[in-house]
Amino acid sequence: MADVKVKVQPPDADPVEIENRIIELCHQFPHGITDQVIQNEMPHIEAQQRAVAINRLLSMGQLDLLRSNTGLLYRIKDSQNAGPVSFFLSKMKGSDNQEKLVYQIIEDAGNKGIWSRDIRYKSNLPLTEINKILKNLESKKLIKAVKSVAASKKKVYMLYNLQPDRSVTGGAWYSDQDFESEFVEVLNQQCFKFLQTKAETARESKQNPMIQRNSSFASSHEVWKYICELGISKVELSMEDIETILNTLIYDGKVEMTIIAAKEGTVGSVDGHMKLYRAVNPIIPPTGLVRAPCGLCPVFDDCHEGGEISPSNCIYMTEWLEF
Amino acid sequence: MTQAEIKLCSLLLQEHFGEIVEKIGVHLIRTGSQPLRVIAHDTGTSLDQVKKALCVLIQHNLVIYQVHKRGVVEYEAQCSRVLRMLRYPRYIYTAKTLYSDTGELIVEELLLNGKMTMSAVVKKVADRLTETMEDGKTMDYAEVSNTFMRLADTHFVQRCPWVPATENSDPGPLPPAPILVISEKDMYLVPKLSLIGKGKRRRSSDEDATGEPKAKRSKHSTDNKEPIPDDGIYWQANLDRFHQHFRDQAIVSAVANRMDQFTFQTQTSSEIVRTMLRMSEITTPSAAPFTQPLSSNEIFRSLPVGYNISKQVLDQYLTLLADDPLEFVGKSGDSGGGMYVINLHKALGSLATATLESVVQERFGSRCARIFRLVLQKKHLEQKQVEDFAMIPAKEAKDMLYKMLSGNFISLQEIPKTPDHAPSRTFYLYTVNILSAARMLLHRCYKSIANLIERRQFETKENKRLLEKSQRVEAIIASMQATGAEEAQLQEIEEMITAPERQQLETLKRNVNKLDASEIQVDETIFLLESYIESTMKRQ
Repeated sequence: MADVKVKVQPPDADPVEIENRIIELCHQFPHGITDQVIQNEMPHIEAQQRAVAINRLLSMGQLDLLRSNTGLLYRIKDSQNAGPVSFFLSKMKGSDNQEKLVYQIIEDAGNKGIWSRDIRYKSNLPLTEINKILKNLESKKLIKAVKSVAASKKKVYMLYNLQPDRSVTGGAWYSDQDFESEFVEVLNQQCFKFLQTKAETARESKQNPMIQRNSSFASSHEVWKYICELGISKVELSMEDIETILNTLIYDGKVEMTIIAAKEGTVGSVDGHMKLYRAVNPIIPPTGLVRAPCGLCPVFDDCHEGGEISPSNCIYMTEWLEF
Repeated sequence: MTQAEIKLCSLLLQEHFGEIVEKIGVHLIRTGSQPLRVIAHDTGTSLDQVKKALCVLIQHNLVIYQVHKRGVVEYEAQCSRVLRMLRYPRYIYTAKTLYSDTGELIVEELLLNGKMTMSAVVKKVADRLTETMEDGKTMDYAEVSNTFMRLADTHFVQRCPWVPATENSDPGPLPPAPILVISEKDMYLVPKLSLIGKGKRRRSSDEDATGEPKAKRSKHSTDNKEPIPDDGIYWQANLDRFHQHFRDQAIVSAVANRMDQFTFQTQTSSEIVRTMLRMSEITTPSAAPFTQPLSSNEIFRSLPVGYNISKQVLDQYLTLLADDPLEFVGKSGDSGGGMYVINLHKALGSLATATLESVVQERFGSRCARIFRLVLQKKHLEQKQVEDFAMIPAKEAKDMLYKMLSGNFISLQEIPKTPDHAPSRTFYLYTVNILSAARMLLHRCYKSIANLIERRQFETKENKRLLEKSQRVEAIIASMQATGAEEAQLQEIEEMITAPERQQLETLKRNVNKLDASEIQVDETIFLLESYIESTMKRQ
């Protein structure tokens, strides 16, 4: 009898079985499993078969390959992420891995978008390739380019259906990358007028000083309501927007702010406190130096007796004296 | 001493005392303390003249002397004291508001003469007041002495240091320069003088002449041949006290501007603050950062008569003042109905900051002022943050920041990310350093006043011929009036000055007044900035 070498086929050697086992393991450890864990679970599988199975799972997009400080980790892709990828896969069956890689990088950037140079760093692909791929993806309507408001030449890429983040478009004050200064000015003046009239009515009411002072304050919520009712803004403004406008009034020195503790339930309170604003007057009149022409003179440093510009022949003084 | 200060001192000394004093004074300011012979040698003036000039300067408290080792006496000029001469009109005006004409004249005499005895001041002031009164009335010495004593009680005038009486009968060699001492309690002690008399007109009122030629001055008879009772006791104006008063005024008006817009009884908050400051006048030293705590009951008792607000309302006002974001008034305890202090250092800081803001606003525009206040409040900001907070487009914001940077109102703070300080990898933060900005502005003020004085002198010099002519004409008219000339002759003389010349004279007078007023206004700014800088340096 000849020896028949029987290759004992280990059980679970079926590739599909291996993959399913690996997927089960991944579900057991949602944070990821290392190669070592798989090896422990299925000690009878050879390294090559294991590698094949893992590669298949990766290319099918069911596993994520991550690097940790101990080594490589395989993690199950959760169903949300799996969605667009399968959609993507169904769309572009024939595209190469590079495009997939680029797409993944852009996706990871979320709604802040990513710059083309950053894509190059992350993917290590040459610039020409990147540009080709980006054009491809754009024509397929998978990604879009958004101009950033911070640097107008820079274009960031993000997924087609995502809303760009506030920091990129600038929020309510920017319309198409342009800062709307007149809009801000108008809002500025309206808020100030509102606070001024409130303070005046408080002054006219002639009651005891505590009540007068308290009634001359307006909370940010009141101002917000007033501005919304005024209807001068096409864009909907939130209370934070109004607060930034009121802050500019504070920096103009026309308004002062106090913060008081408010109960949670009261209208307009945020985290247990409210911001109150009040119109005020400056504490000193324009100071003495600026009433003389020297205070505002643009050539002050060049002026000295006997020179081209001197107090004796100063034209600013002559004009000022003729007033 | 910066160049601007030295220039200003030289202009002031020249205007008030003349060329020689100016030369000596400026030399001393430039070179510090020097002995007599070195001064004479370096300035090239004779010893006699140097001595006279130094006498004048010492009399006016502008130069002090010290005995150094080996018996050498050195003289040192006090530049800051020379600059106070700009403020003389303000001191005199304050005395007028507080003590009416009598006080005004007393302070004026003291300032113009440096040091005087009380009896000399009283006599002179009484004479001057009598001249302005109607015929037949005279000013009594007692009234003037009264005002003088009140000035001394409120510390507006003080005694000069004197040579102490030596106890031992054996005098020994006289020291090269007398050592002057004064003790705190003697400073405001008025000697018991019985000054009896009335002010005299320049001419006795018995004569029946209608007018008096200005050119002729008749000597008034001096009947007091007896020795002056308070010889050796000299008085001078106490400038620190005036400064304290100005500071209080500034604080009260700041409170009035901020708080009294919202109260129905006008000026109540500022009245309360004024009362508190008045109560702390004597008790708090002028350089203290806080006044003494005052209880609400005391304040209520000390309110001026005529302010009938109830205690409750007063308490409400005090609470409002203490809670205000200005932080001028603070509550330091609850005894006696609530103890309140006035935060002097903070008040001066706020006033100096407001001055800086006002200059930025007038010079660069209100948007720049917005950025300036923003950086002041937030202390350190990046370029991007400035644009976001101030809601100003990036290009304009950058332009404004650079303008203010080159004007030295704002400075840059570099924070490197890498040790090689590469510009692309460093944070650049904008910040405002109030002390250095205040100093810069102060320097600019000095130069501005120097410019204004120069312009005023230039204008006067330009029209010198015209001024001399008009003076001659006036003298002629006056003399003709005294000798009883006719109307027609007077008219003829007056017409020597043509109409356009008259206009020119009018313009000149107006311009000179304007420049003068402007000097005083810039001096107000100087006062605020100097007080702030002094208060900050004392705390360090």
